[in-house]
Amino acid sequence: MTHYAMVIDLNTCVGCNACMAACALENQTPVWDDHKWRTYVHDKEIGVGNSVHRRFFPRLCNHCDNPPCMSVCPTGATYKKANGIVMVDQDLCMGCGACAMACPYHARVAITYADVALGEEFYGSDYRRSSPSMDKCSFCDHRVEKGLKPACVETCVGSARLFGNLDDPQDPVAQVVASGVARPLMPHIGTRPNVFYIDDLKWRG
Amino acid sequence: MDVTMSYETQNLWTWWLAVYLYTGGLGAATLAVTFLTDMYLKPHRNLVIWGAGAGVVLLAIGSMMLFGHLLHHLAAIHILNPLVFFKKPDAWIAWGTQFIIWMMVWGVLYALPYARETPFLKRLPLIGKVLEWGLVIKICEAVTRFRKFVGWLAVINGVGVTVYTGLLLQSFPAVALWANPGVPLLFTVSAFSTAMAFLLLIMYTVIKDAEDTRIRLLYERIDLVLISAELVILFSFYFYLKRGSESAMRSWELLFTDFGWLIGFIGFGLIVPFFLELRGVVKGWTSHVPIITASVLVLMGGYLLRHYFMYAGIYAYPW
Amino acid sequence: MAWSLPRLSRRAFLKSSGYGTAGLGLLSPLSTLVTQALAADDEVKEEVSYSICNFCSSLCNLRVTTHTKGGDKRIVKLDGNPNSTLNRGKICARGQAGLRQTYDTDRIKTPLIRVEGSQRGEYKFRQASWEEAWDYIAKKQAAAQIKPWEWTMVGGWTSCVFYMNWAVPFAMANEVPNIVASPMQHCVTTGHLGTDLVTGNFNIHDEVLPDFDHAKYILLVGNNASIGAVSTCRMVRFAQGRKNGAKIVALDPRCSETAAKADEWIQIRPGTDLAFMLALMRILMQEELYDAEFIRRHTNLPFLMTQDDKGEWQLVTDAEGRPLAVEEDTGNPRTLKKFSNQNHKDQEGRPFTPGLQVPEGFSLEGRPIKTVFQVQLEELAPYTAEWAAEMTGIAAETISRIAHEFGNTRPAIVDPGWHGARFGNIMMLRRVQAMVQALIGGIDSVGGWMNSGEVHHKAHLMYQAMEEGYEMGAPLANLAGMAFAKMVIGAVSQGDNFSHGKPGFAWAWNAQEKAAGRFNVALPVMTDSGLRESVEGQLQFKGEPYLTRAFIINAANPVRHYYPDSYWKETLGHPNVALVVMVEVLPSDTAPYADVILPNTTYLERDEPTLYGNGVNHDLALTTRYAAIEPLYDTEETADILLKMTEVISGNREGFLDWVEKLTGLKAAPVKEAYAELQKTQKKGAFAAACRRVSFAQTAARLGTTPEAIDAILRDKGVYLEERKEKILDQWSMPRRMPVPTDSGRVEFYSGLMRGLRDGGHTEANFSVLATWIPPEYRDGEPATIALEADEFFFAYGKTPTVSHGSTNSNNPVLAGINQFKRDIYKGVWIHPERAARLHINNGDPIRLTNAKSGQVTGGHAHITRLVHPDTLFVYSSFGVENKALSRTHGDGTATNKLIPYQVEPVVAGFRSQEFTIRVAKV
Ligand SMILES: Nc1nc2c(c(=O)[nH]1)N[C@H]1C(S)=C(S)[C@@H](COP(=O)(O)OP(=O)(O)OC[C@H]3O[C@@H](n4cnc5c(=O)[nH]c(N)nc54)[C@H](O)[C@@H]3O)O[C@H]1N2
Ligand SMILES: Nc1nc2c(c(=O)[nH]1)N[C@H]1C(S)=C(S)[C@@H](COP(=O)(O)OP(=O)(O)OC[C@H]3O[C@@H](n4cnc5c(=O)[nH]c(N)nc54)[C@H](O)[C@@H]3O)O[C@H]1N2
Ligand code: SF4
Ligand code: SF4
Ligand code: SF4
Ligand code: SF4
Ligand code: SF4
Ligand SMILES: [Mo]
Repeated sequence: MTHYAMVIDLNTCVGCNACMAACALENQTPVWDDHKWRTYVHDKEIGVGNSVHRRFFPRLCNHCDNPPCMSVCPTGATYKKANGIVMVDQDLCMGCGACAMACPYHARVAITYADVALGEEFYGSDYRRSSPSMDKCSFCDHRVEKGLKPACVETCVGSARLFGNLDDPQDPVAQVVASGVARPLMPHIGTRPNVFYIDDLKWRG
Repeated sequence: MDVTMSYETQNLWTWWLAVYLYTGGLGAATLAVTFLTDMYLKPHRNLVIWGAGAGVVLLAIGSMMLFGHLLHHLAAIHILNPLVFFKKPDAWIAWGTQFIIWMMVWGVLYALPYARETPFLKRLPLIGKVLEWGLVIKICEAVTRFRKFVGWLAVINGVGVTVYTGLLLQSFPAVALWANPGVPLLFTVSAFSTAMAFLLLIMYTVIKDAEDTRIRLLYERIDLVLISAELVILFSFYFYLKRGSESAMRSWELLFTDFGWLIGFIGFGLIVPFFLELRGVVKGWTSHVPIITASVLVLMGGYLLRHYFMYAGIYAYPW
Repeated sequence: MAWSLPRLSRRAFLKSSGYGTAGLGLLSPLSTLVTQALAADDEVKEEVSYSICNFCSSLCNLRVTTHTKGGDKRIVKLDGNPNSTLNRGKICARGQAGLRQTYDTDRIKTPLIRVEGSQRGEYKFRQASWEEAWDYIAKKQAAAQIKPWEWTMVGGWTSCVFYMNWAVPFAMANEVPNIVASPMQHCVTTGHLGTDLVTGNFNIHDEVLPDFDHAKYILLVGNNASIGAVSTCRMVRFAQGRKNGAKIVALDPRCSETAAKADEWIQIRPGTDLAFMLALMRILMQEELYDAEFIRRHTNLPFLMTQDDKGEWQLVTDAEGRPLAVEEDTGNPRTLKKFSNQNHKDQEGRPFTPGLQVPEGFSLEGRPIKTVFQVQLEELAPYTAEWAAEMTGIAAETISRIAHEFGNTRPAIVDPGWHGARFGNIMMLRRVQAMVQALIGGIDSVGGWMNSGEVHHKAHLMYQAMEEGYEMGAPLANLAGMAFAKMVIGAVSQGDNFSHGKPGFAWAWNAQEKAAGRFNVALPVMTDSGLRESVEGQLQFKGEPYLTRAFIINAANPVRHYYPDSYWKETLGHPNVALVVMVEVLPSDTAPYADVILPNTTYLERDEPTLYGNGVNHDLALTTRYAAIEPLYDTEETADILLKMTEVISGNREGFLDWVEKLTGLKAAPVKEAYAELQKTQKKGAFAAACRRVSFAQTAARLGTTPEAIDAILRDKGVYLEERKEKILDQWSMPRRMPVPTDSGRVEFYSGLMRGLRDGGHTEANFSVLATWIPPEYRDGEPATIALEADEFFFAYGKTPTVSHGSTNSNNPVLAGINQFKRDIYKGVWIHPERAARLHINNGDPIRLTNAKSGQVTGGHAHITRLVHPDTLFVYSSFGVENKALSRTHGDGTATNKLIPYQVEPVVAGFRSQEFTIRVAKV
C-alpha cells in the first residue's frame, strides 16, 4: 500500500517562499488574496531576551488519517484516497466551511465566485476551476499520480520538504518518521497527521 | 512544533452562524413543545399554528443565513437530497439539514388541519386558496388519522435540530470550547429554555387565553428548571475552560473577562430571569410584566450565548 | 463524536472514492451536466521546453511547461531543470513566479514615445509602431547631432550576462566609449574584484561556487541573498552541507534568512567585518593554522619583498622581473618562474622547498628582505582579537574561538560573499576572505571554493594559447580572469581605441579630478563616476567640453538601483540630454525618464542568439533558451534592437557584425547570410535567430558534432554536458594543476595590480598591496569607534528572497502576494525593541529616517524585532517603487535610494552605501 507523507526539516528551511510560489502556480490558487495560500511559510521570532531565533515554519494540509474536515463534510466533497491524500471534490463542495472550522491546522481556504472570475482572467485558458469551493493542499495528487513529487517539494531549495511513502520501509521519509525525529503537529487532537516536522532547536550551552 | 503558539479567534463562522444556531434551536424547540402540548396536555390550535409557524419561519431565517454564506449555492443540492445519509452518515450538517427539512415537512403537515380552521390563514391570498385544494383536504384527513404519529415525527426532528446545533460545534476538535459533550447539552437546554420564553411571550401578549394558565405555569416551571440547568452547565464550563488546554484557557479569558458575557448573558440572560420566574413560581406576580421581561431577557440571552460561543472559539496553532 | 469514528470515516471514504463520478451523478444531475458540457474542449496538450531563469545571475536552468487548450498555448509552470547539476532541479520563488512577468498586465506591449510637451519624469507616453519609434530616434539623433562619445549605454546584469557579445561590439562599432553597468559598483567590481585580486578569477557574475556539500565548517560574512535568500545553486549545496552536519557561523548585523540557518549568528557592527577577518587571519598565520604545503607551493607568500626608499613594499625580482624565494632550510635565494602555478621548482625546473620566512637579518644587495608572509604577518600585528572586539562589538574570545575552529576544521569555507559596496573597505574584506580561504588551501578543492567549469575551461584554453604562442582572438569569449578584466578596462579607458580619441567620460572625469588634486577613482570601470558632471557640462577633455547627451538603457533601472535616486532623475531629466532610449519589459522607475521605450520580448518568449555556459556550475555544460510561446505583444529581440540602433545612429551595420566577430568569434559572413535568409520569413528577431544558427554551427564544429545534435540534446534535456567536475578538477584544478588567472599564476596575497595603482599615485589604504585595515567613516572625519546618539543607528540593507534587487518583479502578482503576506517583515524598518522603546516607537508606527551625514529624509514603518543588532536599522532593499504604472508595488515600503547619498570608494567607485548613520523619529 501507499501512504503518502511529508517531512519538513526546519533545519534547512530558509523561508524563501519558493514552495508558496510553486504551489500557487501549480494549483492555480488565488494569489491576489494574501490569505489564500495552500501552503504558508511563517517567519517567526522565538526565544527570550537575547537568545532569539528566527524560525521559518512551512505549513499545509496534514492529510490526517482521522481527518475531522472529512467527517464534518456534509456533501462528501472531502474524501480520503487510498493513498492517504485528503481531497476536496470541487463539484460536490458547497462551501459551507464546516471543514475549515473542523481543521485544527488552518489548512483550508475559501475560493469564492469572485476568485473564480479573477482566476479565469489570471490563469486564462488553462484555468481548471469552474465553481467556487473550499480548497486546500492536495499533496499535488495529480502530480503524485504521475510519479512526480509535489510542486513545493520539487522546488524546495533547502531540501527541507521531503515526500515519501510511510508504507515503504526503505523510504527515507518512512525511516525518519519511524525514528521519532520527525514529529507531527498537535497529535493529541487525534487527527493522525501525515506531515511531520524535524525540530530546528537544539539546546546549546 | 509546540514551542511557540499563536491563537486565533475563528473568523469564518461569525455572528451569522450564531443567528443560525439560535433561530434553529429556538424554532425547533418551539415547534416540539407546542406539538407535545397539543398532543398530551390540551389540543391547542393557536399554539400549534404559532409553534409550527415560528418553527418554519425561524428555521428558514437561520437556513438562509447559512445558505447565503455558502461559497457555491448550487451545490447545496447535494445535502438537500436525502440520499446524503448513505454518503455522509458521520456529518452533522447532513443530519441537521435533513432534520430541518423533515421537521418542517412534518410540522406543516401536523398543523395543516388546524390551519384549515384558522380564519386568519384562510383569508391570506395564496395560502387561503391552497388550503382549499382537494389534495390538501385529503392530506388533512390522513394527518388527523395519524395525528400522533405525524406529531412525533415532527417532534423527533425538532429535537434533532436542537441537539444538532450543539453537535455541529462539538465536531470541531481543535476548539476546546466547542469540542466537548457539554455543548449539545447546553445548546439543547438553552433552545428549550428560549422556546419556553418565546411561548410565554406569545401567550401573554398575543394569545392571551385565560384557560392557558395551567400551561403557562407549567412552562414557567420548566423554564426555571432549564435556566438552572443552564447555570449548572455553565458553572462546569467555567472550570473546564479555566484549567483546560491552551485553547480552553484562551476561550476562558475571552469569555470570563467580557461584560457582554458576564453581565449581558449570565446576568441578564439567566440570573435575572431566573429570579423573576422563581418569584413567579413561588409567590406569583400580580402583573404579567415580570414574566414578559424574563422571557425577553431569556430570548436575548439565548442569542448572546451562541454569539459568544462562536466568538470565543479559539484555535491554538503551533506556529 | 462525529469526527472520531474512524471506521465510519473509512467507510465514507470508500464510498466516495469508490463511487467517483457515478455517486456524484446520482446526487447531482446538475453539476454532472455542467461537467459534461465542459468536457468537450477540455483536451489539454502539455509540452515541455527548456530555458534559463532571468531574475538573478545564478542563472538557474529551467524546465518550462505549457498547456495548449482550445488553440491557446500558455506557459503554466516553471521548474528547475531536473537534468541540471547547477540548480539540481530546484528554483527559488522568483524563478517559480517568473512566468508572470510574461503575463504581467503592466508590461510594455508596444513601442512608446513620450508625449510631445511632457517632461521627462512625468510618465506620459503614447503607443507607437516600431517604424515610428525608429523614425523618432533617427530624427532626434540627426536634429541634436549627437556625437558617438556623447552616447552612454546603460546595462543591467542581464545585458551583461546574455548580451555582452552584442553590447560591447555595439559600443565599438558606434564608437561609444561609455558603458555604465549596474552590477559593477554594487557587486561585480567592489566585491568580486577583491576576491579576484587573490584568485585572479574575474568573470562576469560567475565565479566561485563553494563546495558546501562537503564542507565541515562554513563561515558566512554578510551573506544572505547569495545563499539562502536565494541563489539556488548555492542554497541547495548549503542545505546539503548543513544536513551533513557542517558547523555554520554567520556574521550579520541582523538575523538574515541565511543567518537563521547558522549554528551561531554573530551580531557584528556594520562595516567592521574586515576587522574580524584580519584578526582571524592573524591567528591563522601566527599559530600556523594554515595549509603550509599549499601556501608554499601555490601562493606568493614565499615571494621576497623589500621596502623602497619611499617606504613602499615592492617585490624583489631579477632583471627579467621574475620573483625570488628562499630555500626553506638553507635560506638561499632561488629565482622562480614569472608565471606559473607553483613555487616548488625554480626557474630552471630544479625542485626545492620555498621558505615562508627568511633567516634573521636576511638581505639582498644591501636591502633588508622579508617574505610576503612575514610582511603580511607584521602588517597584521596590531589586529589582535582584542582590537577587533573593540571594532566589531564581538567578544575577543568569540573571535578567537571562531578563528581556531575555522583553522582546525577541514575542509572549511569562508564564503566569498557577493554583493560588495556598502563600505569603502568591502573590497579589502573580500580580499582578506580569499586570503583566508587560500591559507587553509581551500581553493579549487573538495569542500572548499570551486571555480566554475567555464572558468576552468577558458583558463585552460588561454594557457594553451599562451604556451603555444598563438593569438586567441575573440577576447570576450576566450579571455579568463584578470586578463579579461584588463581587456575590458583597456577598451574603454583609452581614447586611442576610437577614431574620436575620447575615452569614457568616467576615465576623463577622474583624470580631470586627479589633475586638480581632488578625490578620484582609479578604475572607474563601467561606472557612473563623472556622469552627472559630463551631462552638466563640467567635464573637459583635451580642452574641449565632453558632454553626455544621449542614453540607451537596456535592462537596467538606474533610478532605483543607484544612489541617490535624484542623481539619475536629474541627470536623465537634464535639458542637455537630447535623447533617452530605453529597452525594457516593464515600466520601471527609470522608464518615466525615457523618450522612447522599446519593448523587449520576455525571456520565456525568446530563443537566445547564442549558446551560453552554465553559470557557476562546477560541471562544464552548454545551455540556452527556447521560446516556450510566441511573443504575446509587439516586442523585439535585444540583438535586433542593437543592430537597428546601429543603423540609425551611425549606419555602421557592417562594422557591428565585424566587431561581433572580432570580439566574440561569431563569424560575420555566415551571420549575414543567415540573416538575409531569415528576414524573408520572420519580421522580428531575424538577426538574433541568425546569430543563434551560426553559434550552433560553430559550437558543433568545436565539439565535433552537428548543430542538430546539439539542438536535439538541448531540446531533450536543456543542458549539454561537456565535462564532469571530477575530471575538471583532476585536470584543471587551479592552482594545483594549472595557474590561477592572476598576473603571476599564483594565488596572490601581494597584489601587483595594487602596486601599479599605488605607483600611479593612489596611496589610500584601499590600494594597499597587502591585507590591511580600512576604517569605516560613519561620520565625516571621525574614527570608526563612535558613540551613537539615542536616536542614531548604523544602517544595513539586504535583498528580499522574493524580489530581485529593487527590480520590477516586486510587481509580479505571485511575489507581490507573498510580500504582502509578509509585509511587516519585508517592508518594515527593523528596529530593536530596546532602542525603539527609548524612542517611544511601537510596532507598525510610521517613522522618519534621516541620514545624519547627507540629510536625506525618507519614511517607513517600524518593525520591532530582536532579530537585529540593537545599534542597527535594517531594511530590505527591494521596495519603494514610485512608478504608478507598476500597479502592484508602487508606494510600498522604504526606498534605499532615498536614503543613500552619492559616496564612492576610490578603487572602482564602489558605493559606500551604508557608511553613515541614520536618525529615527516617530511621526
Ligand atoms: N535598491 C536596490 N538597488 C540595488 C540592489 C538592491 O538590492 N536594491 N542591488 C544591486 C546589485 S547587487 C545589482 S547586481 C544591481 C542589479 O541591477 P540590474 O542589473 O539593473 O537589475 P534588475 O533589476 O534585475 O534588472 C533591471 C531592469 O531590467 C528589466 N528587465 C527584466 N527582464 C528584462 C528583459 O528580458 N529585457 C529587458 N530589456 N529588460 C528586462 C527589469 O524590468 C528591470 O527594470 O542592482 C544594484 N542596486
Ligand atoms: N532574492 C534575491 N537573491 C539574489 C539577488 C536578488 O536580487 N534577489 N541577486 C543576486 C545578486 S546580483 C547578488 S549581488 C547577490 C547578493 O547577495 P548577498 O550579498 O548575500 O545579499 P544581500 O542581501 O545584499 O546582503 C547580505 C546580508 O548582508 C547583511 N549586511 C549588511 N551590512 C553588513 C555588514 O556590514 N556586515 C555584515 N556581516 N553583514 C552585513 C545584510 O543584513 C544581509 O543580510 O544575491 C543574488 N541573489
Ligand atoms: S521552499 Fe523549502 S526552504 Fe523555501 S520556504 Fe519553502 S520549505 Fe522552506
Ligand atoms: S489538516 Fe485539516 S484539512 Fe487537512 S486533512 Fe487534516 S483536518 Fe483536514
Ligand atoms: S465546505 Fe465543502 S468540503 Fe468543506 S465541509 Fe462544506 S461541503 Fe465539505
Ligand atoms: S503538496 Fe502541492 S498542493 Fe500541497 S502545498 Fe505542496 S504544492 Fe501545494
Ligand atoms: S536563484 Fe532564483 S532568481 Fe536566481 S536564477 Fe535561480 S531561480 Fe532565478
Ligand atoms: Mo549583484
